[in-house]
Amino acid sequence: MKQSRVWVFAIAVAMAGATAVRAQDQLPAPSPIEKTLAARATHVTEVTLDKTMLAFASKFMDGKGEDGKEDKDEQAVKQMIQGLQGVYVREYEFDKDHSYSAEELDGLRKYFENSSWSPMVRERTKGEAKGTDVYVKLVDNKMQGLFVLDAEPKELSLVLILGPVDIEALGKLGGNFGIPKDAMKKAQKEATK
Amino acid sequence: MMQTISLPPNTAKPGWLAIVGMPLGLAAIMTPAVLLAAGGSGQGFDSVVHGIESRYHAHATRIPFMGLMSGIAGIATHGGVHNLHVATFEHFRGDGDNQVDGAELLSLVEQHAGGGWSRMIRETSRGGEEQTLIYVRPEGKQVGMMVVDLDHNELDVVEISMNPSQLMKQAREHSHHHHDADNSDSEHDNDSDSD
Repeated sequence: MKQSRVWVFAIAVAMAGATAVRAQDQLPAPSPIEKTLAARATHVTEVTLDKTMLAFASKFMDGKGEDGKEDKDEQAVKQMIQGLQGVYVREYEFDKDHSYSAEELDGLRKYFENSSWSPMVRERTKGEAKGTDVYVKLVDNKMQGLFVLDAEPKELSLVLILGPVDIEALGKLGGNFGIPKDAMKKAQKEATK
Repeated sequence: MMQTISLPPNTAKPGWLAIVGMPLGLAAIMTPAVLLAAGGSGQGFDSVVHGIESRYHAHATRIPFMGLMSGIAGIATHGGVHNLHVATFEHFRGDGDNQVDGAELLSLVEQHAGGGWSRMIRETSRGGEEQTLIYVRPEGKQVGMMVVDLDHNELDVVEISMNPSQLMKQAREHSHHHHDADNSDSEHDNDSDSD
């Protein structure tokens, strides 16, 4: 009887551990700020890709360039996509300049201001709410996640990539899955400094 | 021990028509009801279309010969694309002739699409007059894709199955031919110029 209780306890601990690990890799639920931004925006694009969908998306990449020959960059992007846990993109377009406040941007950043995420880029324009923030998640000195918040006068983009990130392939990821090209190139430039 | 059943003297033995006919008749009556019930509670394209039809009291226009077109698409793409389903709602309006509530449409589609489908993209405009929802699901080596596109007063629901590797191969071959054709054209132009 005692032995079976030990087994039940062990299984419960293992399941709880597995759930915690899984929760860390899962894409976050949208924050209330995102809901208010979406209500104000004229156009909203939401892209949510979990591991399964990324695996399928990678099938549409054959690692070849436009000339049909093997392309190392394309192969690196394909390999990176296959290893990712999730991609989460939100793009809000507004009809008026600065339709979001500095407090709202702070609220969006707050999610990543914890021990596992470190700020890598912080670009601000004096007197304006616009700017770019890049946060990275480092595990054993390896990049295991990337968050980009790019605020333009009429546009706000959030990109969250979970899983091992290859800096070399990062720039090429822009333009795919709704990920803004400029934001990815900016993040790649800063990361390779 | 053997049991014998004795019929009353005036009772005639039931004929083969009565024996076979009764279950057949019952089956004939029940089949449409069973099929209708299955269609209503099923998931995927048909369920989404039925759900929209019943919620908004609208009637979807099915594209004629879609099975044939789906077959042709399958042959043309060497199996890259098949299982094509299209339903169109024209003059599509919400309650009281108002715009459709985008959030409600989203929840209706998700409820009827079923667990196998995962939403990949949602694109919306303020007021909900435009909304595009793209769902995907794994189908073995293939990918199923369902698109629900609301554009003001028109709503389209499309389902398609794709073979990614085959499609990529086709796209590559097409771009290669296109590239070759462009090159031969430019060579031809150069020859004309030199003449």
